[in-house]
Amino acid sequence: MKKIFFLPALAIIGFLFFQGITKPEPKTEFISHEIAPDMPPQVKAIVEQKCYGCHNAESKNEKGKKKLDWDAFEASKRAKQIAAKGKILEVLENGDMPPAKFLENKPEGKLTEEEVATLMAWSKSKKN
Amino acid sequence: MKWGLYLLGGLTVILIGIQFVPNELPTVETTNPEDILSSGIVSEDIAALLKNSCYSCHSNETVYPWYSYVAPSSWLVAKDVREAREELNFSNWQDYDTMDKLEKLDDIAIEVGEETMPMGIYTLMHPAASLDDFQRQNIVEWAEDAMDVVLEEEDEGED
Repeated sequence: MKKIFFLPALAIIGFLFFQGITKPEPKTEFISHEIAPDMPPQVKAIVEQKCYGCHNAESKNEKGKKKLDWDAFEASKRAKQIAAKGKILEVLENGDMPPAKFLENKPEGKLTEEEVATLMAWSKSKKN
Repeated sequence: MKWGLYLLGGLTVILIGIQFVPNELPTVETTNPEDILSSGIVSEDIAALLKNSCYSCHSNETVYPWYSYVAPSSWLVAKDVREAREELNFSNWQDYDTMDKLEKLDDIAIEVGEETMPMGIYTLMHPAASLDDFQRQNIVEWAEDAMDVVLEEEDEGED
């Protein structure tokens, strides 16, 4: 009867073990399309079309709003904006946005390669 | 009764066995010339807070408690310290570029402000590392101000 405790104990130890193992670094390919970085209207157009729906001050998507709120972004100080850009760049490099789950229901929301390149060029720059 | 003994024996064997699983704790370095504390953006008060509440994971100066040498807790400690240093390592601060510094300071302000850092499991084991509201507020304000300083330094460097 008490054998039943072995399995959970083993499962916990196994879980801890795999937690402890170093995970291989995910490989991210760096796209370096040479697109003029000084094109905020184009960036804005992409943001409005593909990001703003979740990332705005009134968003019902609490997580999206918390991670990035474009309304707050525009109003925030330059250092904050650059920090946000760094995080945007990271997410774009990993291909994490828009989330795969979201795209299942709304495949047209996917960023095209060109849009990703535009956003990346912009987010790398410390200018506006 | 018999099963109880088997269970205890089995667990003991497992516990001894797992001690032989290789586990590497991230190395400790005490000399860190690129540390944030020598970058000039940290006041003494803030330095004391960072040292006390953050440095054991987010720097090369980890102080390993006894249970970091005993599996399975050693696996967790190794994982947490490794990931913490990857995310933010105060000992390597001056090697970060401006954008990284700004991101990290922004994250410090957010995570300390929202009380997700220091992690609950860490303050549970190290109550002295807990931050009170006043200390949290100080760290948040410092991080916000330091962002402007970092950016100013960058702008001056470009001129």
